[in-house]
Amino acid sequence: MRIFINVFLANLKELIRDKTALFWFLAFPIFFVFLFGIVFSGSSELVFNLGIIIEEPSEMTDKIVEAMRAIDSFKVSVARGEGSEEMKALQKGERHIVIKIPAIDYQKMASGQGVEILVYYDASKQQTSQVLMSVVEKMFGEAEHNITGIPEIFKIKQEAIQADKLTDFDYILPGILAMALMQLGLFGSLQFLSLREQKIVRSLGVTPLARSTLLISEITLRLLMALVQTFLIITIARIVFGVTIISNIFVVFAVVIIGSLTFISLGYMLISFVKSNEAGQGIIQIVQFPMMFLSGIFFPPDFMPSYIQAIVRAIPLTYLGDALRQVMIGVYSGRSMLTNIIVLSGWLIVTLIITIKFWRWD
Amino acid sequence: MDELSIEVTGLKKYFVGAKAVDGISFKVKSGSIYGMLGPNGAGKTTTIETLVGLYRRDGGRISVLGYDPEDDLDKIKKLIGVQLQSPSLFPRLTVKEMVNLFSSFYPQPMDPVEVINQVGLDSKENTQIRFLSGGQRHRLAVGLAMVSNGKIMFLDEPTTGLDPKARRQLWDVIKGLKNNGVTVFLTTHYMEEAEKLCDDLMIIDLGKVIVQGSPRELIKEFSQETAIEFSDPGLTDLSRKALEDRQLAARVSYEVKEKRIILYTHNVPFTMKKLLDFGSDHKLAIDDIVVRRASLEDVFLKLTGRGIRE
Repeated sequence: MRIFINVFLANLKELIRDKTALFWFLAFPIFFVFLFGIVFSGSSELVFNLGIIIEEPSEMTDKIVEAMRAIDSFKVSVARGEGSEEMKALQKGERHIVIKIPAIDYQKMASGQGVEILVYYDASKQQTSQVLMSVVEKMFGEAEHNITGIPEIFKIKQEAIQADKLTDFDYILPGILAMALMQLGLFGSLQFLSLREQKIVRSLGVTPLARSTLLISEITLRLLMALVQTFLIITIARIVFGVTIISNIFVVFAVVIIGSLTFISLGYMLISFVKSNEAGQGIIQIVQFPMMFLSGIFFPPDFMPSYIQAIVRAIPLTYLGDALRQVMIGVYSGRSMLTNIIVLSGWLIVTLIITIKFWRWD
Repeated sequence: MDELSIEVTGLKKYFVGAKAVDGISFKVKSGSIYGMLGPNGAGKTTTIETLVGLYRRDGGRISVLGYDPEDDLDKIKKLIGVQLQSPSLFPRLTVKEMVNLFSSFYPQPMDPVEVINQVGLDSKENTQIRFLSGGQRHRLAVGLAMVSNGKIMFLDEPTTGLDPKARRQLWDVIKGLKNNGVTVFLTTHYMEEAEKLCDDLMIIDLGKVIVQGSPRELIKEFSQETAIEFSDPGLTDLSRKALEDRQLAARVSYEVKEKRIILYTHNVPFTMKKLLDFGSDHKLAIDDIVVRRASLEDVFLKLTGRGIRE
């Protein structure tokens, strides 16, 4: 343990004294938060186009519409009767979702059967539709809860649903963090590659120091850096751009650690296949660059062709971005947190096995 | 019989297309300084790095303090200190931090402050390693081996790249280790170093042992002559032949790279006269004449037919 701490401190000192590396480590996330924060600040809130079809208008349906309209990011249009024009708009891609409220049978309702509300969504815009669905579900869920015939049932609008004040920047912030963690994990492996390339690993190999201790101290340092970056990003977003993080910071940290481990492992796997630092840079770029664009961390990949969407569903960054979005701003995409964690852990385990198989110490 | 610290029999280490070490055997007595002498590429570094477990051998037996490095490397590592020829260290740690870090790896390390003093880096203890000169880095590497407080020090060309003063200081440090009962196994291509430091040595070339023994024995056995050395005055093949035909010495050697000609003789006045006559006959200036006792350098030249630095 004493040796581990000493090697860890040696690595830490190496990092802190490398002014260029330290600058980029600290400046990179700050730069991105400011860049995106400024670009997306102001009026450009996310707007969801919502269609409501009301078969039979009543005081209750008016309240529903009123409640929906009260949400800033919803642009609501209402049709009565069959509402075929709303359905057409959905098909043309002008609506994210269309909610159909049937004629309400108060007798059925009184006997506890509830009202069946149909929600149509554009399958090609799955991600945004999913976000919206989760909001609507929550609204009606609350409504159902109160559905005892009291007219005030839809005072739901006062509930603090995150979608109320969700801006583009809120949506992008977890993406920035996910990207930072990915890059830290992948490019961080180059640190070990250079220890290997400069033969420091070999030189230490003649001492009683176990090489695994060297590696574990590196990983520990990387996790510490991930937490520092997370803290920085969240703090700047909160102070400068007023973003609210809905979960406890430790919940965010837990997701950050799982995500970081996955990408650290992926990074180590990649450098197992190369010898030089240059080759390492190359192979990491090849992996990280497409991943950044295909993961939907900055924009929903809805418009991408379906074969690309298959890739989107395969890459770990998608799941880290999603997990962070859930714990940071409470936007659900239809994937459960458990799915995200399982997929990330799966990537971690698989890359770890490949790493162990192909690992080279010198 | 003396106790042995290292015993190697028929060691072989092959790399793709090269027999780096091709069946060498030697014994190192505990508490002695053992030197491995040879030109670059002779297999010195490969031998030392195989002994300390950085390579797996392709044949032969190794015993380091009774352990085989392929079976009990962890035990060996705690008992030895190793200075690699060009060790890579954390560039941004200071000398003191690096020595402290290494000292924490060993069960009973030497006092880091004392080690730094001994290798003469006390004025640089707070300097980051990347700012050290080549010589200082080299001395630090020796210090990192010493801090292990091991029973054997493996030093791979410990004085290469040092200026004469620093080299002499390091010799004192190595002698000090011996006085403390430490066994030292070192490689060098400096004949003088081997002659002054080592109790026993072997000369190797192209992966094979050429000769083994104490420096005194080797010189006595192989070079009883006196060497008369002078600058090559620009001999043509013809005049070279003429020089050899005069039978002015036991042997004539040419150190191509250094442009020196060496005559080995038992009769210095006779050879000297003949040489000067030869010079005036052929109108050649015989300059820069040195008369000296034969050294290990000459042993090497005699045994391999070439100078050690060629």
